[in-house]
Amino acid sequence: MWYKEISKDSDVVISTRLRYARNINGYKFPNIMQKKEKEELLNKLKSLNLSKEYNFFKTSDIDKITLLSLVEQHLISKELVNLTDTGIIMNKECNIVTMINEEDHLRIQSFESGFDIDKCYDNLSKFSNILESKLDFAISDKYGYLTACPTNVGAAMRVSVMVHLPALAKLGLLSKIIDEATSMGLSVRGLYGENTSGYGNIYQISNRQTLGLSDEDIIRKTKAIVNTIISQERKARQVLKENNIYLGDEIYRAFGILKYAKVISDDEALKLLSKVRLGVSMKIIEDVSLEKVQSLIIDIEPNTLRTILKKDLSKEEEDIKRAEHIREELK
Amino acid sequence: MKCQSCGKREATVKYMENINGKKQEMHFCIDCAKKLGFVDFSSMFSPIFTNIPDFFEDLSLKEELKCPVCGYTFDDYANSGMFGCPKCYDTFSDRLDEIFLKLHGKNRHVKLKEANTNKKEYVNKDKKQNKEDKIQELKEQLRILVEKEEYEKAAVIRDKIKNLEGKK
Ligand SMILES: [Zn+2]
Ligand SMILES: [Zn+2]
Repeated sequence: MWYKEISKDSDVVISTRLRYARNINGYKFPNIMQKKEKEELLNKLKSLNLSKEYNFFKTSDIDKITLLSLVEQHLISKELVNLTDTGIIMNKECNIVTMINEEDHLRIQSFESGFDIDKCYDNLSKFSNILESKLDFAISDKYGYLTACPTNVGAAMRVSVMVHLPALAKLGLLSKIIDEATSMGLSVRGLYGENTSGYGNIYQISNRQTLGLSDEDIIRKTKAIVNTIISQERKARQVLKENNIYLGDEIYRAFGILKYAKVISDDEALKLLSKVRLGVSMKIIEDVSLEKVQSLIIDIEPNTLRTILKKDLSKEEEDIKRAEHIREELK
Repeated sequence: MKCQSCGKREATVKYMENINGKKQEMHFCIDCAKKLGFVDFSSMFSPIFTNIPDFFEDLSLKEELKCPVCGYTFDDYANSGMFGCPKCYDTFSDRLDEIFLKLHGKNRHVKLKEANTNKKEYVNKDKKQNKEDKIQELKEQLRILVEKEEYEKAAVIRDKIKNLEGKK
């Protein structure tokens, strides 16, 4: 799986996603489509004759735990699971994943580990060109690619970069940086937990504006701002490393709990893994690989854990099995 | 008198303000007045509906505006935040400029598939595009200035818009 590898700027960036919203002429948008129409569109996409590496699924044919695990892996949205008559086209490596009948007819996504936005764009445009040659996409001269919601119209492209910013958070610089990124036209939200700051210090940075900008404009702008944030986080880590003996203590305590706990919730595990991820990236912890920590951050999620263990679990069993799995992996 | 913002429709709304003892008057059509954010007529305007039949005709026309493909009305959009089908963008295009300006800071997309178009044609289109962009940008500036009640500066911008629109 692509996210279990590490790549460019992986010390700070967990993954990069590019997403196109595309709609097909002759159909209403999914928000007012009848069941029959949605099924018709699913069948149309099923019979596209794509190369063998792409697989088509109706969401209703996939079991709930597997679907929710795909949500935990950030490959599909929660909405796709909640809506009816939706579908997925996914390649073998799971780095090109298209959602069907979500908010738009198509949400074509491309993923890469780390901050490899160019490779991500290359894969996205190649696959969407294939689709565009087989389907009649809704395009207007004035507004570009037409989408159900006007917040996506135009390039209809969203860049989302998942970043780990524990050092900036520790130095109290995070809110300032979030404000600045926001004023530059990006949106920043915490990925885990209910409120915007979230926990685990993992954030998703995305572009807001899609109209009047070319794909290249959007990529160039997002790249510049994210690169600045990356270098700020690295600087913050340097400051912490030089002046703070307690940082190593905190990281090793987190590592200790993960290595020896018998029962652990997903929330607690994520908070501790966030600290260990920082420790591994900074080479404070050297006997665990970043790949391993990156995988664990996803593996410990409730549904993904169940798919790995291949069985359903009660909540109590879940916390015990999670601790067991982490102990095993960090041995 | 023509509207001082669009220069096309009849001005039906007059706005007066005393700036340093100097009385400033601005005349807008009802559409532009709304676009410029003057919705609170009672406190900011002395409305002079010189063209009442037109005004009401205009309103009723808009209320009936319905997408021929999906049957969506503008109210449906306002309630859901989403359009019903690609055709809706055509159907409601008169009302989208302002919405898109707020959402994206722009209301026209760049030309798609630039590589496929004849280069000379592309350059010309690009020039035209730039001018439209410029006009939209100025209109946004005008809106902000009027909001801040800086009418002298607003008047300068308004003239620039008129100039550019004249050259179209
Ligand atoms: Zn006007
Ligand atoms: Zn419509």
